[in-house]
Amino acid sequence: MAQTRSGSKLIWDIAAYAVLILLAFICIFPILWTLLTSVKVEEDIVTREMVYLPTRFTFEWYVRLWNQSGYPALVINSLITTSVTVLICLLTGTIASYAFARFHFPGRTQLMLGYLVVRMFPAVLMIIPLFVVMQQVGLLDSSVGLAVAYTSFLLPLFVWMLKGFFDAAPKELESAARIDGSTRIGAMLGIVIPIARNGLVATCLFVAIAAWNEYLFALMLTTSQGSRTWPVGLQLMVGEFQLPWGMLAAGGMISILPVVVLFAIVQRVMVAGITTGAVKG
Amino acid sequence: MAPLSIQGVRKSFGSVEVLNNIDIELEDGGFLVLLGPSGCGKSTLLAIVAGLEPSSGGDVVIGDRNVNNVHPKDRNIAMVFQSYALYPTMSVKRNIGFGLEMRKVPEAEREAGVRKAAKLLQIEHLLERKPGQLSGGQRQRVAMGRAIVRDPDLFLFDEPLSNLDAKLRVEMRTEIKRLHDRLGTTTVYVTHDQIEAMTLGTKVAVMKNGVIQQFADPQTIYERPANMFVAGFIGTPTMNFLEGTLEQAEGGLVLRHAGGSLGLGGIEQEVGSFVRKPVVAGIRPETFTAAAGSASTLSGKVDVVEPTGPDTMVILDVGGQMMTARLGSRDRPRLGDPMTLGIDMRAVNLFDPQSGNRI
Repeated sequence: MAQTRSGSKLIWDIAAYAVLILLAFICIFPILWTLLTSVKVEEDIVTREMVYLPTRFTFEWYVRLWNQSGYPALVINSLITTSVTVLICLLTGTIASYAFARFHFPGRTQLMLGYLVVRMFPAVLMIIPLFVVMQQVGLLDSSVGLAVAYTSFLLPLFVWMLKGFFDAAPKELESAARIDGSTRIGAMLGIVIPIARNGLVATCLFVAIAAWNEYLFALMLTTSQGSRTWPVGLQLMVGEFQLPWGMLAAGGMISILPVVVLFAIVQRVMVAGITTGAVKG
Repeated sequence: MAPLSIQGVRKSFGSVEVLNNIDIELEDGGFLVLLGPSGCGKSTLLAIVAGLEPSSGGDVVIGDRNVNNVHPKDRNIAMVFQSYALYPTMSVKRNIGFGLEMRKVPEAEREAGVRKAAKLLQIEHLLERKPGQLSGGQRQRVAMGRAIVRDPDLFLFDEPLSNLDAKLRVEMRTEIKRLHDRLGTTTVYVTHDQIEAMTLGTKVAVMKNGVIQQFADPQTIYERPANMFVAGFIGTPTMNFLEGTLEQAEGGLVLRHAGGSLGLGGIEQEVGSFVRKPVVAGIRPETFTAAAGSASTLSGKVDVVEPTGPDTMVILDVGGQMMTARLGSRDRPRLGDPMTLGIDMRAVNLFDPQSGNRI
């Protein structure tokens, strides 16, 4: 009996590992393939038969991308847009989520739901009105305008996520601080935010990654090299008679670098932040 | 130090009224305990006094200042919370000195104040630690240190001992009493523990459903409860309630009950108007004596015997009504035996069963 049980456990373990390895492969393979493509020579990329491993390593695509395609400008534009988006979300979203977490004012629930509703519409529905608005206020084809557009759909995510972290911070701490001599905003800045800092970092990272990778809004709202972000720039490299696979792969690898580095640096903080917000203590 | 006056304070959340016309006067240096079951409104009242919660009506006066529209930081109060509410990112030293820091007290003065408070609470060796590195009792001491360092007009305690184990709770209770005796600061203390209320308070307000049931000194509340709720809430084991009818017999007033009759000679209440009406006699367990020589006695059958060490609790079945008697440790009646207990009638209270109030 005991043997049968351990036998069936072994089968389940093997099945579980098989599924996990398959999933990991599905996740990692495209990145690995892009990496390999970015260091292959042209002859290894466009072939009659599949060449899995490069016969010769080259960084030519990276050099050409950086020197000839204007890619550095795209990365800088993306950095500016992402930073401005995070800054706007941080300044407005922190105060908004604190208010939602702490105050019970008329229309609070409706407002929170309203924030969610924004996220329920497909992005294309918002692009045309946003395009018109940006044109009217002169923010079309600018990094700030694009950041404002990103804020329109990332701020609800920021507020909802951060509210969970603020909810988890004990209210008594603010009461104690207010009695000790802090104002409400002072208690928020001096006591609550240091406690919820993991959550704040995690939330900012989510917003930053979303803004960094965004494609559709950037395609519609930017038209010149001066404000175009890397996903759009990369896509525009694909010509009618030309498909520079090596450069595209090199661009892809450079573009995911900031995200990977950020994740590596704040991975622990993020995981701690996410779980703190999820399990209300 | 300052007297506290709570005048007609009300609080409602929508249509739900949680505090109904609360009036309390506490003298300078007094120790008020707000006592009641969960949800009775005692913590809400404390939050109103602290300024953390706005009232729906009435006035809170600290000293000679109406503080209704005064910010918590400007009320010169200090509060100790049930959850300690220590700032987790700050050291113990900074936690204690935070109130002074906020008030821009010079660093040297702040340091001296923190040291003095820490010495008083015997936590000098913990000053550099973070709250996460402290035990429950130590955290409680730090929370108290944070309160006393400011030398406020009023101390507010919100169930400060609830999170401690039984032994530590007793120790900290003594500590709080010692501190109050030493500092003499006017204190409001919220608890649902009647022992804390009886041992600490100079005045106790027993609350139920947002209404003060009785506001008096602890002894009066114990010996002369205003109603059956207070009588049943205070005391362990709880007061026995013997239902019956008041009658005029040859020897004086008696209470006819299902198990016989109880002579009421010696009772300190004017109950003449209740003759031939149902009444409830409230009898504390320690009012019973095993010696049956008393003028007033109750007879019944021994149902349960619980030796506790210093005492023996005997539950007596008196005509279907269970009466708990606290007898001496040597009194060990046998189960099922008939037993007659004497009663000190001076300590008995009669209640009107309709209103529940003491007659």
